[in-house]
Amino acid sequence: MPFEQVHIASFRNIAECDIPLGASRVFLLGENGQGKTNFLEALYVLCYASSFRTHADRDLLMHGSDAFLLRADWKDSFDAPFMDRMSLLYRAGEKKEVRLGDKILTDRKELVAHNPAVVFCHEDFGFAAGEPEERRFFFDQCAGMLWNEYIDILRSYKRVLKHRNAALKSGEEELLASLDIQFTRFGMDLMQTRARLAVLFHEHFPQFYDQVARLGTRVNIDYRPSWSLDSTFDQILAYLAEHRARDLELKTSLSGPHRDRWVFVHEERNFAAYASTGQLRLASLVLRIVQAYLFAQAEEKRTGKRRYPLLLLDDVLLELDGSKRKRFFELLPDPSESVQAVFTFLPEEPWRDYADRSTMVLRVEHGRFTREESI
Amino acid sequence: MKAIEELVSILTRLPGLGRKSALRIAYALLRADLSFSETLAERIRTLRTSVHFCSVCGSYTETDPCEVCSDPGRDRTVVCVVEQPQDVITIEASHEYRGLYHVLGGLLSPLDGIGPDKLAIRPLLARIRNAAHTSQPIREVVIATNPTIEGDTTALYLKKALEQEHVTITRLATGIPVGGDLEYADRLTLARSFRGRTPL
Ligand SMILES: [Zn+2]
Repeated sequence: MPFEQVHIASFRNIAECDIPLGASRVFLLGENGQGKTNFLEALYVLCYASSFRTHADRDLLMHGSDAFLLRADWKDSFDAPFMDRMSLLYRAGEKKEVRLGDKILTDRKELVAHNPAVVFCHEDFGFAAGEPEERRFFFDQCAGMLWNEYIDILRSYKRVLKHRNAALKSGEEELLASLDIQFTRFGMDLMQTRARLAVLFHEHFPQFYDQVARLGTRVNIDYRPSWSLDSTFDQILAYLAEHRARDLELKTSLSGPHRDRWVFVHEERNFAAYASTGQLRLASLVLRIVQAYLFAQAEEKRTGKRRYPLLLLDDVLLELDGSKRKRFFELLPDPSESVQAVFTFLPEEPWRDYADRSTMVLRVEHGRFTREESI
Repeated sequence: MKAIEELVSILTRLPGLGRKSALRIAYALLRADLSFSETLAERIRTLRTSVHFCSVCGSYTETDPCEVCSDPGRDRTVVCVVEQPQDVITIEASHEYRGLYHVLGGLLSPLDGIGPDKLAIRPLLARIRNAAHTSQPIREVVIATNPTIEGDTTALYLKKALEQEHVTITRLATGIPVGGDLEYADRLTLARSFRGRTPL
């Protein structure tokens, strides 16, 4: 859902600002360190009540300040009259207070489907080039966005896994039989949801990737679960019992969805092993695009109306060469679909090439924003 | 003032009491009759000596065995297993259950180092075995632990631990939200859970 108006106070280097944002594409222009990413971060925090850059809310405070406030009004679409207000107040040493309309929210989970955001940032490179854990993180985030109940299953699974590992460590064998039942139950749920997600990625990723990369051959992403996908509940329980001695010996759970892998496959080989840095960067960007599309698709199924998450693109275009950049832009959902995308640019970048009359351009300097009237 | 500060700092160690409420209590006590403070102090002082755990079921009681355990009108063939003594009070308030209780004193949580030996599981087995030779053997064990990960682990463990005994094991039916607390389940929900308990 697009933001209509944003108020930011004492957040990072932004002392205070009130910015109308009612545009499909918003470009933030500025040198590094002026506050472009801080602004994206504020929008993200307004969507999820947590940052993508830090886990500690106090890091978000402006230097010398002991509270920050974020507030936003948003609409269902650009031409809709309906407005919703969300605010987040944080005081050092206290729990942040998140309000949606008049309601105080207690679980962040409620926000995940309400007004989701997808950030494209430099760190996403890890999804393509990093450890399996980083890819799992990305796909778990996707699944949670598409199926809210996945978040609960993942939380439960992680809790059982911790208990199971603690029992393995202390050698409490008599508890493992009960823990294995829970471990298998939540684990199978995770595995089946991930498999559903893999099907959706298969439908979109290869085509999207090739539209920009033009390799001529398909790059796909495969889901490789730790347990066999077609095994039954009893078969997994038996497998765990059979391998218990090894788990006990190494004091950790050696199998299960926490060991699942997602692999980029190109001509039946592991693409990440030989792809160029540029190709991997593009892969991580395309993962994000597919994530946004899948959410819109799921929303359409659920409500009959296509609705995109807010797209926040932090300097990522810099990493692509000119022609790929252009094709990447074409991959983004059309502005007519009520999608809002906020981009950051360095002033010397050819941002005008991607702007049109409806684009809102904001210059950022020392945490202050001025609107560029004529582009 | 030191006396007020000291009272506030001890009061805030109680659940649900923040500094603000603790200060309000301190000021109220300063305004109230001296006899009020004395009665309050006395009640707090004697609480631990007059209330203790029932030697049979483990719930709070002033007599031993407790009122439930010594009531001849209760159904002695059913035992409801709960986590904490206060769960007994919650279930009793629903007037839906006529059997006996057994308090575990916690839930299994390997992560916190709480294994079966730290809970009253062996006493439960002993109760079942002792009753087996009487005219009223225990036929059903209702597990009423909260539907959390640890509550489920405990229920699954109990099921296995009681496998060899001749008892039916049931679990409180849904109705209590997952992750919810027995303490916060309203009476109606609790009543429905008891009627709809399912074999585990
Ligand atoms: Zn008793």
